[in-house]
Amino acid sequence: MEVLRLPISASQRGKLISAGYTSLSSISSISSSDLARDLKVSETEAMEILKVASQSRGAETSNASSSVVEGAQSAWDMLHDEESLVHITTSSADLDNILGGGIHCKEVTEIGGVPGIGKTQLGIQIAVNVQIPHDFGGLGGKAIYIDTEGSFMVERAFQIAEACVEDMSEYNRFLRKDFQECKNKLQPKDILENIFYFRICSYTEQIALINYLDKFIYEHKDVKVVVVDSVTFHFRQDFDDMALRTRVLSGLALKLMNLAKKFSLAVVLLNQVTTKHTEGSFQLALALGDSWSHSCTNRIVLYWNGNERFAYIDKSPSLRSASAAYSVTGRGIRNSSSSCKRIKMM
Amino acid sequence: MKPQSLLQLPSQKCTTGCPILDRLLGGGIPCDSVTEIVAESGSGKTQICLQLSLHVQLPVSHGGLAASSLYLHTEFPFPFRRLHQLCLSFRSSNAHHFPINDNPCDRIFVQSVHSVDHLLEIMSKTEPFIENSKTQVPVRLIVIDSIAALFRSEFDNTPVELKRRSSLFFKISSKLKALAKRFNLAVLVTNQVVDLMGPNEGINGLRIGNLGCLYTSGRRVSPALGLAWANCVNSRLFLSRNEDATREENGKLNGESGGFVFKKTRRKLYVVYAPHLPESSCEFEITREGLFGVERQLTG
Repeated sequence: MEVLRLPISASQRGKLISAGYTSLSSISSISSSDLARDLKVSETEAMEILKVASQSRGAETSNASSSVVEGAQSAWDMLHDEESLVHITTSSADLDNILGGGIHCKEVTEIGGVPGIGKTQLGIQIAVNVQIPHDFGGLGGKAIYIDTEGSFMVERAFQIAEACVEDMSEYNRFLRKDFQECKNKLQPKDILENIFYFRICSYTEQIALINYLDKFIYEHKDVKVVVVDSVTFHFRQDFDDMALRTRVLSGLALKLMNLAKKFSLAVVLLNQVTTKHTEGSFQLALALGDSWSHSCTNRIVLYWNGNERFAYIDKSPSLRSASAAYSVTGRGIRNSSSSCKRIKMM
Repeated sequence: MKPQSLLQLPSQKCTTGCPILDRLLGGGIPCDSVTEIVAESGSGKTQICLQLSLHVQLPVSHGGLAASSLYLHTEFPFPFRRLHQLCLSFRSSNAHHFPINDNPCDRIFVQSVHSVDHLLEIMSKTEPFIENSKTQVPVRLIVIDSIAALFRSEFDNTPVELKRRSSLFFKISSKLKALAKRFNLAVLVTNQVVDLMGPNEGINGLRIGNLGCLYTSGRRVSPALGLAWANCVNSRLFLSRNEDATREENGKLNGESGGFVFKKTRRKLYVVYAPHLPESSCEFEITREGLFGVERQLTG
């Protein structure tokens, strides 16, 4: 919690911030005389501020009194939390394998590749798969799909949703032989209804929408994935000032990261590729520049190898570098047909 | 800001005028999307554009959009005579949809474009134009034939110029997409090809789309305008043409005396990439009446 939200007068708040006391924890252990000196206010006024601060802190920390800083967790707790999290499957076992089970919640995953490699297909697949109910090992959540390029096709989403429903009923038949349950299972129509689709036509809209997401997800707590297809498109025009672009983009990335943490959801950003001129030769790199590459937790690069599509873990704090083949079929993303055991660990 | 319901999202297609090609394309050219046709000259790019701007006028029940079209051409001259020819056959086969003395050409607005700046200027005027024409037959199709002609002369091969160029690509594309979204338009853009040298796949060893290499007239080609533009379109179709060798031998037998070798051109349409279509291809031919798919070669 920040000083900004304390129920004190604006001038007191201003004094606190200009003296460097921005978070509640920073004034938690200070004496009233020190605070009075730093803020250049009377000691009684300082005492009042401290009283208000300790009250609002007390309200917040009543259930987590052990932590030193508000919101902090021990690594042990975090590990425990992470292990209990369900991942979003990509519908390709090989891909899930190198991703450590699928797309992780509480993380920002960036996926990039050339046009036609299957970025949008993967995006739609994830938006569908996040809805697989708990009984089937899924999250049973909803999806937000932010379309900046106009590549989202409802007919394609419907095909993928249909295939997903078919797979689930297949699973049901094999493992449960329980036809009662099949009756009230998810329909392709429901899957489409559970994707909140936003179409964005400019970068200002994109910024506004991402700022609004916090409120939207607060009202729709069952949203478990945010897919942005693509984060790049509107940022590749009209930006002469690259420093400004970098600042705007890292602001967006921070907001998305916060959303992922706060609501325990997965953020998937699709990115384009561009050629980068280094030492006299052209190389392929994900767009938006070097500083952007710090913004995401995981980076996955999709590429062609011969006639097969491959995914490669380019950056991840917890996954090892590996690549796996996948294919885009009529039913969605699946394992590559020709590769049963061809995952390369590097 | 409100999310749109996917079930109510309009996903109309505009027929190409040929059931076989429509089947390949999942119903035709999609609205609210930018479709690109890549081919070398003489492959049928302009033919498809002309045909589509006629068929968009068909009622919705017959696969059209009951709308007029805006045709921006950058390559000169505009093929008025061919359009007229296609128009006549289009009218005679769809006579019951149009009143007598009605000319479908009246609902194709043709505008020439001379430079990139000119295109941007026209596009800013397009919005009020479409808005005001709402009282008559609405515009539901924009054709740009071709985008490459504008860009291939104007820019130097220096990093600064190339950067300016790709920034313009994204600007044009986002304007087109915004128009497509707002008025639920189909957008069709044509592009030229460049020859490919060297052993690599594509430019700089880069493969885009389903096909490793694009072949036409026995040459290896790549779509013009590079990777940046490839990011700007939603779907890319490729037309190839190749002289049929077997027919050539037959022709030699028949026409050797006159020194005339009869060749039949085999044309093929490929889906290079599209968010809603699988990798597929189809042979087609161009006749006096227009462009039609040939059933026997349907694959994928």
